[in-house]
Amino acid sequence: MSTIECRKLRKDYRRGEEVIQTLQDVDIDIHGGSFVALMGPSGSGKTTLLNLLAGIDRPTAGTITIGGRDIGTLGRNALAAWRSANVGYIFQLYNLVPVLTAYENVEMPLLLHAISAKERHQRVTEALELVGLADRYSHYPRQLSGGQEQRVAIARAIVTRPTLILADEPTGDLDRTSAMQVMDLVVRLNKERNQTIVMVTHDPSTAARAGRIVHLEKGKIIDAAEFEHAAQVAASGAHR
Amino acid sequence: MNSFLRTIPFTWKNLVRRPLRTGLTVAGIAVATFLFSFVESMRDGVVKATEAGAAETRLVVYRKNRFCPFASQLPQSYERSILRIEGVKAAVPIKIVVNNCRASLDVVTFRGVPDEGYLQEHIAQAQLRSGSVSDWQSRGDAVLVGSALAERRRLRAGDRFDAAGVRSWVAGVFDSDDAQDRNVAYAHLGFLQETAQRGGTGGIVTQFNVEVDDPSKMEAVASAIDEAFAHDQFPTTTRPESAFVARAARDVIVLVRFASIVGWASLAAVFALIANAIALAVRDRIRDHAILQTLGWTGADIAWMVVMEAAMLGAAGGAIGAIGAHAAIEFAHLNFTMEGVSIEVTASNMATVAGVVLATLLGAVAGIVPALSAARREIVQGFRTA
Repeated sequence: MSTIECRKLRKDYRRGEEVIQTLQDVDIDIHGGSFVALMGPSGSGKTTLLNLLAGIDRPTAGTITIGGRDIGTLGRNALAAWRSANVGYIFQLYNLVPVLTAYENVEMPLLLHAISAKERHQRVTEALELVGLADRYSHYPRQLSGGQEQRVAIARAIVTRPTLILADEPTGDLDRTSAMQVMDLVVRLNKERNQTIVMVTHDPSTAARAGRIVHLEKGKIIDAAEFEHAAQVAASGAHR
Repeated sequence: MNSFLRTIPFTWKNLVRRPLRTGLTVAGIAVATFLFSFVESMRDGVVKATEAGAAETRLVVYRKNRFCPFASQLPQSYERSILRIEGVKAAVPIKIVVNNCRASLDVVTFRGVPDEGYLQEHIAQAQLRSGSVSDWQSRGDAVLVGSALAERRRLRAGDRFDAAGVRSWVAGVFDSDDAQDRNVAYAHLGFLQETAQRGGTGGIVTQFNVEVDDPSKMEAVASAIDEAFAHDQFPTTTRPESAFVARAARDVIVLVRFASIVGWASLAAVFALIANAIALAVRDRIRDHAILQTLGWTGADIAWMVVMEAAMLGAAGGAIGAIGAHAAIEFAHLNFTMEGVSIEVTASNMATVAGVVLATLLGAVAGIVPALSAARREIVQGFRTA
């Protein structure tokens, strides 16, 4: 189980001369085995925070410690190895490799692990069975529905048995039924496998399935009271 | 290194599962490599025909300032004078009749040689594919045909053969290591003199092939021969056989040198083609590379995949083109003949291997810049760009 500690986390982007502060002094602790939903309006920094936790982006300032390790200090290759061992990432748009079959897409992260071909096959099979796609091994992404593609992407995210699963609006591009199936799966992973899950979502009903909801606005985490107040102000403004 | 090896199946799938892109790129590379290997084989033929070996002992005595077998006329009686010159081991009077004196791909060359000695010794070194020397000896109009000429004209022992105004009978087909032999038909000297003169006087030959007893004496013997006939009615020019071939084939040599530039330029086209295909592929796969890096593959792995894909494209196109050129040359039996001298385009293993290796290396080099750009791109930037 990976406990996540972010301290004074800042992320700036440059657009010409302009500096855009996407995250500002974010402090957050996420306990190992918990399921956290990140919510907030567009541009609030949710995906940026998720990318920093995944080690696919680097903070401008501050530290990210996951499982006792400050990932900001890792070099590119060490960070890649860390991602391979610890992180499963689920994208909103699935991001499967189009020339690979469902089986091969799921197998791809395992190729970096020192395991036998037999064990690799076993793990891929298990992952695809878990997401209910045992009969779609040889299908290419273009031959799958959106929900099926997302389930393949989940299988790919869990096949290495990572301690941390990060999901960026995993149901954002799915119909209601498919979204329910995907969320059932995510909740199951958290409960049965005790995997830490951090999920970005815009949808309150999806967020409600998480154990904790963290709100972000303008690059800052706002606490529950602040959030209630902001929500009331927004609602009364809309009412008037 | 292990992760590099593990990228091979993915790279392979990227190639075979995008058949249109791969097919078009490989076809372009194959055409360019075909051209390169073909031209290199031509150049190889020229080099083989014109390079002087350290042990070269054969001189060719030709009529001075004459450049075509029709114009080179020397009295056969010169043979006795040549044989008296110190260092000369043997002198063979040869009458040459061709159906075309200019450079052409289908010239039939008849060489009239004495009935005894020369051919028996020559064919003994070569290999008879069919027929026999005794058949040749037994008929006045008989010819022994070199294998390349026989294949080009589809001649077999027992066939009648009509070319350059000479109607002959094929007594046999022989193979030889010497391109000059593979592309001629050996006839009886007297028969050819008679046919060529159309009933006129005999005793005129085109050239003498002179064997020198010591390679170091080539120059001295050549000078002595030319000196002996300098003030005669028929002055001579004597050269080592390779120099004689090089002079006769000078136009073809210039052409082949020019073609060689085209061949190398075609390799530049291979480079440009692969670089373009890979640059486009890398641009198309920015998202795929970002996904792979998110899964834990490193920038070096991505760069390796790109370079390997480029090298595989080069290798596949290079192999098809170079082997295709090899097969085309084997099948076509191409042969340039000018002034009765042959330069054979033979399928060169070296040119084939060079074609494959160079196309592969050029592919790998062409992939380096796109590979570096793919490797250096930040993951998040990759997702945004895509």
